[in-house]
Amino acid sequence: MGAIAPLGSDARTFFEALLQGRSGVRRFQPSWAAAEYNQIAAPVLSELAQHFTKLRRIALDRVAQLSLQAVKESLGQSGIDFSDDAGESAGIYWGTSLGGATSLETAYNDVLVTRAARLKPSTIVMVMNNAATGQIGIEFGIRGPSYTFSSACSSSTVAIGEAFRAIRFGLIKTAVAGGGEALLTQGVIKAWESLQTLAKVDPNRPETSCRPFAADRTGFVLGEGAAALILEDEQSARQRGANILAEIVGYGNTTDAGHIAQPDQGGQARAIKAALTEAGMAPQQIDHINAHGTGTKVGDLSETNAIKQVFGEYAHSVPISATKALHGHLMGATGALEMIAAIEAMRGRIVPPTAHLNSPDPECDLDYVSEGARSLSKLDVVMSNSFGFGGNNAVVIAKRYVP
Amino acid sequence: MNSLSVIQQLMIEEFGLEASQVGSEAKLEELGVDSLATIEFMFLLEDKFKLRMSDNPVAVKTVGDIAREIDLLLAQQQAASSSPS
Repeated sequence: MGAIAPLGSDARTFFEALLQGRSGVRRFQPSWAAAEYNQIAAPVLSELAQHFTKLRRIALDRVAQLSLQAVKESLGQSGIDFSDDAGESAGIYWGTSLGGATSLETAYNDVLVTRAARLKPSTIVMVMNNAATGQIGIEFGIRGPSYTFSSACSSSTVAIGEAFRAIRFGLIKTAVAGGGEALLTQGVIKAWESLQTLAKVDPNRPETSCRPFAADRTGFVLGEGAAALILEDEQSARQRGANILAEIVGYGNTTDAGHIAQPDQGGQARAIKAALTEAGMAPQQIDHINAHGTGTKVGDLSETNAIKQVFGEYAHSVPISATKALHGHLMGATGALEMIAAIEAMRGRIVPPTAHLNSPDPECDLDYVSEGARSLSKLDVVMSNSFGFGGNNAVVIAKRYVP
Repeated sequence: MNSLSVIQQLMIEEFGLEASQVGSEAKLEELGVDSLATIEFMFLLEDKFKLRMSDNPVAVKTVGDIAREIDLLLAQQQAASSSPS
């Protein structure tokens, strides 16, 4: 697994920060904003340019740079080398919602504001949604099928689920799955502000502004980053003596067919059920849920009710963490990052908290682990939920690998 | 005018290459300067030398090819501006 996120430049650092309840949300004062601009975000703070030559950066948008860094870490950890035939039986399953948003905005600015006569020749190959996917193939020699998934906030969960299926169905042996997002640009942030789903800034403690499942929740905080998982069929992994971190066992994907932005409890519940069915599991076997939990009024209530609908009374017993309170909403990368959080929780038998939940909402009455990280004696199966604008719901279940 | 030294210096600055890499015979492909980077570089040179490239650009394969193309365009431009109208 690999991650470059607001809380750390590698998966382990990121997860440790979650356990400590550290927030990656901070005041955001970009060059385009007036001094009195009052906004927060969860940016990746580490310097990216050092990892790429000037020549390489000519055609790499920020989203591709983030994506390559996450994949590099995941491949390093897995010990896989795609330079030989292995590259032909490996696929790329990558999620992003807005692709090269930075390059697109730069291009629009050049044409419309500074009236540039021509644009950077690599604009198209930096902006297109599959740019990071292609760059991953180029960088690491992955030559099997490649897919780019764009279903807003669920993009990288869909990527993981579809990679899992492709391996299960014998289409490929290995997959790089995950997603990247880099959309902290003026136009994108302004568009989100207009949608009125962003958290109101707490003037005294801005880092606590995102409060999933709390009575005083007001929305989410935009973040950026990338997260990657290496999925491999069991036989191949065992043959090469891989350190198997978890086993993906179920995936559910449904469409609300209701409203383009309004979440739907029924669609979410169907995705959870579908994942359980594929895993061959009862709800009582799920030991921990990493919730979509964005911190919006309607979203958190809908997810709470969807979990209740499927889990029944057991819903009150399963520890649920909404880690977006700390790492922000990474949109197309968020599902993969949260899957990493869920798997790390399982590996260490300790679940991260839902931070900033100090005012419980009577309608959101499940166990959200609000007190801080919690050690569990039994933590063998985890579920990660992602629900996207457009009405896509994606759920992935992983369990502790037992040879 | 011989533009080679200016071009070499720009390649060092823009692409992060070493002086020893950008000799006249150095092949762009071997330097990692692909077609997109080449177009971007030619745009840069247009601005630098205040030139207008042909709509049907010639194929450039080496650092020296770029210099020869720029020198040719500069000469054509100079001839055009000094000829009686």
